[in-house]
Amino acid sequence: MDLDFTPAEREFRAEVRDWLARHVPAAPLPSMDTGEGFEAHREWERLLAADRLSVVSWPVEYGGRGASLVEWLIFEEEYWAAGAPGRVGQNGIFLLAPTIFSYGTAEQRERFLPAMARADEVWAQAWSEPEAGSDLAALRSRAERVEGGWRLYGQKTWSSRACHADWGFGLFRSDPASARHRGLTYFMFPLADVTVRPIAQLDGEHGFAELFFDGVEIPDDLVLGAPGEGWRIAMATTSSERGLTLRSPGRFTATADRLVRLARSDGTDPVLADQVARAWLDAEAYRLHTFGTARRLAAGEEIGSASSMGKVFWSELDVRMHTLALRLLGERGLLDGGAPGAEDGGRWLDGFLFSLAGPIYAGTNEIQRNIIAERVLGLPR
Amino acid sequence: MNFAFTDDQLALAATVREVLAAHCPARAARTERTPAWSRLAEIGLFGLLVPEEHDGLGLGLLDAVLAFEETGRVALPGPVAETAVAAPVLLAGDPLLGKLAAGSLRVSVRVGDQVYSPDADLADLLVVERDGVPYAVTPGRARLTPQSGVDRSRRLFAVDFDLESDAESDGVTRLTAPVAPAIRAVTVAVAAQLVGAARHLLETSVGHALTRRQFGVQIGSFQAVKHLLADVAVAVEFAAPLVYAAAFAVDRGLPTAGRDVAAAKAAAGEAAELAARTALQVHGAIGYTEELDLHLWLARVWSLSAAYGGTALHRSRLRAEILGSAGPVRWP
Ligand SMILES: Cc1cc2nc3c(=O)[nH]c(=O)nc-3n(C[C@H](O)[C@H](O)[C@H](O)COP(=O)(O)OP(=O)(O)OC[C@H]3O[C@@H](n4cnc5c(N)ncnc54)[C@H](O)[C@@H]3O)c2cc1C
Repeated sequence: MDLDFTPAEREFRAEVRDWLARHVPAAPLPSMDTGEGFEAHREWERLLAADRLSVVSWPVEYGGRGASLVEWLIFEEEYWAAGAPGRVGQNGIFLLAPTIFSYGTAEQRERFLPAMARADEVWAQAWSEPEAGSDLAALRSRAERVEGGWRLYGQKTWSSRACHADWGFGLFRSDPASARHRGLTYFMFPLADVTVRPIAQLDGEHGFAELFFDGVEIPDDLVLGAPGEGWRIAMATTSSERGLTLRSPGRFTATADRLVRLARSDGTDPVLADQVARAWLDAEAYRLHTFGTARRLAAGEEIGSASSMGKVFWSELDVRMHTLALRLLGERGLLDGGAPGAEDGGRWLDGFLFSLAGPIYAGTNEIQRNIIAERVLGLPR
Repeated sequence: MNFAFTDDQLALAATVREVLAAHCPARAARTERTPAWSRLAEIGLFGLLVPEEHDGLGLGLLDAVLAFEETGRVALPGPVAETAVAAPVLLAGDPLLGKLAAGSLRVSVRVGDQVYSPDADLADLLVVERDGVPYAVTPGRARLTPQSGVDRSRRLFAVDFDLESDAESDGVTRLTAPVAPAIRAVTVAVAAQLVGAARHLLETSVGHALTRRQFGVQIGSFQAVKHLLADVAVAVEFAAPLVYAAAFAVDRGLPTAGRDVAAAKAAAGEAAELAARTALQVHGAIGYTEELDLHLWLARVWSLSAAYGGTALHRSRLRAEILGSAGPVRWP
């Protein structure tokens, strides 16, 4: 065990830090859930991509640097510590791309990955349906076979930023005789061909959308992996989602540091101060744990269901940290970016609202606890 | 950055685990005060941290931390952490180190935030801090007052001895080694034992949830039980890395070592207390008996969680370190 960084890792960190110091916008970009903010975030992604910083761990030919997992974690630490903008391309980059790398054809990799790295095409994920939330296998959207391709029918919902994005991906039932996890196919589809109804979130902005498919025609080369294999392929995505790439520790260590700065002022209630210290420590625990996971992945081990433990841990930590910040700030903490009295441009409030979604999305924490109990601990279903 | 143990470190832990499985079954922990001691001495546990010139292995805390997890997993009785981890630091340079490495010098320690000496009646030597100065006291010179309590296989004693003015006398030696590094090291070892005990408690509770049936089904099929156990798994999973990182910080003498040790002890103590509380709940009344072995681990968790500074003390240290300094030193 060596918790020191290698000279190459330090050099990489220094380069990233220096780049961020020169490029991170001084004022926060407008919310990426608005049309204007979405485009501003897309421009930011292009700036990152121009210096091969949007997808550091991808191979060079697709716009990355072939960085190691540890280097990616270092990038993330620096990125969030610098207060850089949210990643509008994240669903594609972190959730779809790993699946394309594993199951896509050479043509699909060539067609989609470089455009994704440059944010020329931004992706939205479309799993959930009105009747299929935690119970995703209950999904009803279907794909009908036609000459040279498929027609998609049905409805998806809660698709993050789908009203601004360019492409979507998700599962459709392609075998009408099938049930549950069988007979599903993984599709990619242009959002321009889908009816998109924006849905306002808690903060009033159109952060997600409902999608209606009424016979959209999709050619065969937009199927990812083999037809009927969709569940298995999608689970590969969600296991990387729950594992390493969805929420790197860098986000939480950065939040913890900001929280500590907030709590350092004199007169902080000792009980809150104690909880702040604890939250800082938990962020550190998640960070160390993830370096361990990265090492296991690099050694070719699978992390599988154990990633559910990380999801429960970081999402609850995030809620705790933001709740603490709002307690420390009192009434001011509830002001948004438009208010002159807001602290830090209303970032704590934005972060608080977003943190509350963490225990819901990517498999609710109740579902994660079921997984931990059944697949990690071996308790009966 | 390489957050992984070496094959040697893993192999040592596996050996300790095998030895303890064979020589420290729960019935030994109930009746014997130092089960498996000579076996552990044979495999070199007491010499791990003793320098090579004193017939030890000259290894670091990181090499020993998983082995200590194993001692916690079986709730091993006896002053093992004190002898194997605190004493090599406190007795630095002393000719007694050879005996220590061989496992033929049992040491009880009361330094830092300790109030009592654990297993002092078994010790061949007591290290006792008085007014900030550590003394090595032979059993003949020490007055022990038993302080009976919840953990009957880790007995506590108040220790007193007479000091003729400030001078040393027969059987009382003033030690020159600074105490702080010994406290840090033994605190990490105890934190590792807490992690080990928590892992055992989780396994045992899962085992019970698989065999006990109510309402015609295994109780482990109830979601309320599953989620209690899942929370323990998460707590242990994220406490352990803090303990390993603290061992690294102590070995390297990092400026963050004090903070990291406090973090390790607080997190391990809390995870283990949660594991204990949950284990009892999942077992029901059978867990509330002396007949079942479970109580050995419950008592050990409570006693170790309070040893070398309890959770509250370490947390207040952390608060001072993290909130009191100018900027958290997180990475270079
Ligand atoms: C901010 C945000 C962004 C999102 N973005 C996307 C997106 O981009 N694409 C997408 O497809 N989806 C997205 N989602 C949807 C998300 O995946 C679902 O909300 C999630 O899967 C839960 O489904 P549900 O909301 O229907 O809740 P339900 O499944 O109805 O669950 C409601 C409650 O019941 C509990 N529950 C359900 N089943 C069980 C069980 N077996 N055991 C114990 N408790 C149970 C849940 O834990 C929860 O507390 C997003 C959600 C949020 C909040």
